[in-house]
Amino acid sequence: MNEIALAAEDLHKTFGDGDIAVRAVRGVDLTVRRGEVVLIMGPSGSGKTTLLSMLGAMLRPTSGRILVDGIDLAVVPDSRLSRLRATTFGFVFQDFNLLGALSVRENVEFALNLAGVTGRPARLRAEELLTGFGLSRRLEFRPDKLSGGEKQRVALARALANQPPVVLADEPTANLESKTGHEIARLLRAIATDEHRAVVIVSHDARLKDAADRVLWLEDGAFGSFEEMATAPVCGMSVSPVGAPHLQTADGIVSFCSAACRDEYAALRSGRSTVV
Amino acid sequence: MTMVPIARRMLLTDRRRALLGVAGVAVALVMVLALEGIAAGSTRQISRYIDTSPADVFVSQKGVRSIHMSISVLPADVVDQIAAIPGVAWSEPILLVSDSVRASRVRRPAYVIGYSPGEPGGPPVVVEGTEPGPGEIVIDDRAAAMLGVGIGDQVDVMGRSWSVSGVTTGMTSIVNTIVYVRYEDLGTVLGRPSSASYVLVGTDGGPAEVAADIERATGHTAQTRPSLSAEERSLVRQMSTDLMNVMAVASLVVGLAVIALVLSATVLSRLKDIGIMKALGLGRAGVTRLVLGQALATVAAAFVLAVGLTVGLGAGVARLTPDIDLVIESASLIRAAVGSLVVALAGAALPLLRVWRVDPATVFRSAS
Repeated sequence: MNEIALAAEDLHKTFGDGDIAVRAVRGVDLTVRRGEVVLIMGPSGSGKTTLLSMLGAMLRPTSGRILVDGIDLAVVPDSRLSRLRATTFGFVFQDFNLLGALSVRENVEFALNLAGVTGRPARLRAEELLTGFGLSRRLEFRPDKLSGGEKQRVALARALANQPPVVLADEPTANLESKTGHEIARLLRAIATDEHRAVVIVSHDARLKDAADRVLWLEDGAFGSFEEMATAPVCGMSVSPVGAPHLQTADGIVSFCSAACRDEYAALRSGRSTVV
Repeated sequence: MTMVPIARRMLLTDRRRALLGVAGVAVALVMVLALEGIAAGSTRQISRYIDTSPADVFVSQKGVRSIHMSISVLPADVVDQIAAIPGVAWSEPILLVSDSVRASRVRRPAYVIGYSPGEPGGPPVVVEGTEPGPGEIVIDDRAAAMLGVGIGDQVDVMGRSWSVSGVTTGMTSIVNTIVYVRYEDLGTVLGRPSSASYVLVGTDGGPAEVAADIERATGHTAQTRPSLSAEERSLVRQMSTDLMNVMAVASLVVGLAVIALVLSATVLSRLKDIGIMKALGLGRAGVTRLVLGQALATVAAAFVLAVGLTVGLGAGVARLTPDIDLVIESASLIRAAVGSLVVALAGAALPLLRVWRVDPATVFRSAS
C-alpha cells in the first residue's frame, strides 16, 4: 500500500457570520496516496475551488485538519505557508498561469528559486524538466508564443520542479482542444504512476475520468455518491438538451456532458435504462 | 546565488511605462541637482575675489566676518599699524562698496573695489587694456559683453561716469560682477579718503598666527584667506537655503508622485502575476523585495540619467549664459541619492499595501 501524501479530516469552511454565513465546505474527508490520481467533480458553486484552495495551503479551514507529509496545514503559521507551498505542492491551473514577463525556462527556474534552488542547478533542472516535456526548443520563448498544450506542459514542468509529493490541478484541460486534453490527462496519470506523486484534479472534464483512480462528486460542500452525481444537472456541466448525449430512464430523459459520463451512469443502472 | 531577475523583467515588460517612470523621476532629480549646482557655482563665484587674492590675511572692522552683505570701515592708519606686526610682509588697504555698473539701459550689480594700481587688491589679470588711471575703471569681460562696452567706453558707477581702461576676466557671477577703480577715486566718491574697508596682508609666517597677532594688536577682525572664503560661501549658502529647500521638497514630491504612479500602474497591471507568484510560494518578504526592487531600479536609472542630464545642462548653460556656473558637488549628489532612496521607499508603500493583500487563491478560477 502506498503511503498517504495528503489527508483531509472533517474539513469545514464557512465564509461570513450569522445570517449571511455561507458554508462552502462541510465535513470533507479525503485521503490521497502517492501514485494515486483523484478527480473531484461537481456543479458550479459546490465548493471545489474552496476545497482546492485549502488543500493547497492558500486558505485556512474553519475547522478540520489537512495533513501533508505529516504536517497539519491548518496550524502552520502564515510565515511558513509560502515556503510550504513552494516545496510541497505543484500547481497546474486552468489558465496555465505562466508569468508573461519570464521565458519558458525562467518560469520553471523561478519556481525552483522559491524553494531555495538557485543559479546553475536551477537552470539545469529547469532545462531537464522542459526537455522531458518536449520543450527543448522553446526554452527562451515567452509564454504568449506557445500553443495551449505547450503552455500546459510548461505548467506541468513548473509543478514538478521541486519534486512535490502532491500535485493539485484545477481544470487542467479546460482550455485545451480534445487531443491536447488527452495528452495532458496522460501526463498527469504518468506523474502519479511514474513519479510516485499524489495528484488531485478538480475538473468538469469527463475525459479525465480515464486518468483517475477515483472520481469524487462534490455538491453543496460535501462529497456525495456517484449515484447522486447522475442527477440533474448531470456532472455539474451546463448541458443543453439539444444534441447532448442523453439517457432515457423510467423517470424521464437525463442529459450528459459526455458519452463517457452517460455510459458510466448507464452501467450503474444497467437493465433499467436504454441508451439513445 | 543567481535568481531569476523577476523585478527587472516585470518592470521592463512595459518598456514605455518604465521609461516614463525613469524620465519622470529623472526630471525631478534634475531640478534638484541643477538648482543646487547653480547655487554651488554662484557660491564659488562669489568668493572669487578672495580666492584669487595674493593676500594671506584679510583685516576688517571688528565683528565683520564677510564681504557680502557687510560694511567694514577701518581707519587708514591701521595699515601702518599692521605693517609693524612681526610676520607681516606687506599690508594694503582696499575700499569695497556695493553698487551697480550701468551702460545705456543695461545695469549689472557690482562690487566696486578701490585699490592702488600696481599693488595687491586689484584684478588678478588684465586681459585687455591697462589698470585704471584717475577716472578710469577696469571691468570683467562678461560684464563688458553684457553691457556692450569696450576699452574707452563710458560706464556709470556710484553716480558718476568712468572710462573703461581695461578688461579682466572670471569676476562675473550670476549674482554680480566686480569692477576696479583707483583707491583715491573711490575714497573721494565715498567722502572718506582716509579710510579703508579691508586691509589685505601678506605674511612671512603662518597666516593663522599672524591673523591672531593682528587681532590682538589692533582689536580688528583678521581672517585667513581660506577662512574668509568659507565664511563668504556659508553666508551665501544660508541666504539661498530656504529657496533650495522649498525646491528640493517640491522636486521630491514630484518624484514621489511619479514613482508611486508608475509602480501602482505596474503592480495593478500585474496583480494576477503576483497572485500566481504568491500561490507558487512567494512570501511577504519576497513580494516586498519584488516591489522595492522595481522602485529602486527605477530611481537608480533615474539618478544616473539625472546626473548625465545635469552635466549636459551645465555645459549648455555655460555656453549660453557664461555668468552662470553649474557645479555638481559631491554633497549634492549624496543628497540627491538619499532623496531618491526616500522617494523609492515611500513611492513603493502604496503598491506594497496593495500586493500584500493579493489573495493567492485568486489564481484559481472564480469560486465554484
